Amino acid sequence: MAQEIDVSLVNVTKKFGDLVAVDNVSFDVPKGSFFSLLGPSGSGKTTILRMIAGFEVPTSGDIYIGGQRVNDVPPNKRPCNMVFQRLALFPMMNVLDNVMYGLRRRGGMSKKEMERLANDALARVGLAGLGKRRIHQLSGGQQQRVALARSLVLDPTVLLLDEPLASLDLKLRQAMKLELKRLQERLGTTFIYITHDQTVAIAMSDTIAVINKGRIEQIASPEELYRRPATHFVASFVGENNILTEGRLVRQVDDQVGEVEMGGILMQGRIGEPMKPGDKVDLFVRPEMILLQPGKHSPGILGKVSEINFDGSHSLIVVDLLESQRPLSINVKVQHTEQAPEVHVGDVVTLSWNWGAGNIFHHVPLQEA
Amino acid sequence: MLARLKRTGALWLLLLPMLLWIGLLFVLPHIKLFLLSFQDRYTGAFTLKNYATFFTSPLYRGVFIHTVEYSILTTLVTLAIAFPAAFVVTKVLSERAKALVVIAIILPYWVSELIQAFTWMVIFRETGILSYTLRALGITRHNIEFLYHNWTVMVGLVYTSLLFMVIPILNSLETLDDSLIEASYDLGGDFWSTMKEIIIPHSMPGIMVGSIMVFMLVLGNYVTVTLLGGKNSLWFTENIYNQFIVRFNQNQGAAFSVILLTFSVLFVWALLKITKQDLSEAM
Repeated sequence: MAQEIDVSLVNVTKKFGDLVAVDNVSFDVPKGSFFSLLGPSGSGKTTILRMIAGFEVPTSGDIYIGGQRVNDVPPNKRPCNMVFQRLALFPMMNVLDNVMYGLRRRGGMSKKEMERLANDALARVGLAGLGKRRIHQLSGGQQQRVALARSLVLDPTVLLLDEPLASLDLKLRQAMKLELKRLQERLGTTFIYITHDQTVAIAMSDTIAVINKGRIEQIASPEELYRRPATHFVASFVGENNILTEGRLVRQVDDQVGEVEMGGILMQGRIGEPMKPGDKVDLFVRPEMILLQPGKHSPGILGKVSEINFDGSHSLIVVDLLESQRPLSINVKVQHTEQAPEVHVGDVVTLSWNWGAGNIFHHVPLQEA
Repeated sequence: MLARLKRTGALWLLLLPMLLWIGLLFVLPHIKLFLLSFQDRYTGAFTLKNYATFFTSPLYRGVFIHTVEYSILTTLVTLAIAFPAAFVVTKVLSERAKALVVIAIILPYWVSELIQAFTWMVIFRETGILSYTLRALGITRHNIEFLYHNWTVMVGLVYTSLLFMVIPILNSLETLDDSLIEASYDLGGDFWSTMKEIIIPHSMPGIMVGSIMVFMLVLGNYVTVTLLGGKNSLWFTENIYNQFIVRFNQNQGAAFSVILLTFSVLFVWALLKITKQDLSEAM
């Protein structure tokens, strides 16, 4: 085994009555990595985290932390700590007492020693000197850091984070995102982070597990997930994507590349799962990977610009396809560089992309996707 | 609209019925009571004699101390029963079971304290249910009189007080975020440390409100104490009753009343000071 594994789930299933919240989930989290569980609300990611923390017991399957099976270990005896979504700081104590809480429970340490460790932990998260403050005197970002310090002071094998950034405003969330990543790299502690916000997961994680309806859709690095989604769900959930639905697979160019007929137009993309010519498919194309040229060119797909949404560093251009038998439009993201083509609403343009920018999956009706 | 009412002072009209109620039925009688307590029974002249009687008589002092001691004890017993019950109701039971238990707690208060006391008498008297059951089971050979003991009085008092302790604690526990309890466990806490460090401190305002209400109700109780404790219940309210009704000594009764009232106010104030609770916050 090349890497040491800190947390391991083996065929874990959790049922609440008839509801299967987590369905036969297995994954390994390497030591010192930043691992994210990404999924929409109700996907079961919180249940997985709570099972690792010990607040829920798996219906079947095993959970290992640091090589030890912990199914029967209560939460207060597990070598992992959790940063709660609503932080769950103790309002009846000041900041320092909050951070010392775990140390006091552990015992076997002088008060001086505990205070030193707690103050160290506060300094590490940038809150040196605020130990005597009450919790409600701190800002949202500072409370976040107290919650981190309170867990980190115990030097856990694994730190579990339950969407702690969700309650912050956008600016602060961006800042904390980077800070959290740097902190994790500096400490080398294994982080398991759950979120429904794919931008957060992509920015911070070494590895992301995408969860949907209690099952794992894909476990991969953020880049792999973005470029080569393994399922229809991952392609639609992670990142922005054009979704062209209900096309037909014409032929397989080779193992990887497929040609799709979409409203009479032929388009190329990666074959995302086993399929055969004639299958009804959806094609996903990343808006920023499409080449847009003013005028008519060949080869390429002809279109007319119907909308331009200026967004600072780039514009999102909506192009209606001219040669399509049914109304189809594609969004193209154009960076505002020196070479950026200048287009106006009503202009005729040509779109093209490398096959790697597209991903082909079997068609999934919208309500099931 | 509110602003206009405020400007014209019309808002005060809304308070008027209550102010009249309190003024006429509470403040005025108490002023009268206070004045009476400093008057000689026969001449009406100013005197401290009525208070001197209390402080020099071992009997009255003794009864007073007994009353305070048992009031404190009753409050503590009520708290010991109410807190675990409130905790289970708020944190363990399902919504449905919770509603049932709360109704079960409230239901007995639909009958008056007098009826409650009579019910206890049916259970505790010499020919009552408890005595009969013990005899039927062969545990005792004779009927036993359970009434007129200190502990009987306490059972009755705890029973009539329970609701006033449970409800404030219930309310304070409702506001305790479950994730605080989970966080405590997550950081290595066990049941007792979580109780001591998180749950009890959080529900302290509820505990204080409940304790103050129960203490006051028990200290000034008359019905339950007299019915279950009989002539020898040694409750201070009985002394007040005797002075007013039996001996027609209004002045002595007034002095006793003022002493009881002053003591309860000071006691509650000291309690709040010691536990560092704020009355406005606690209420």
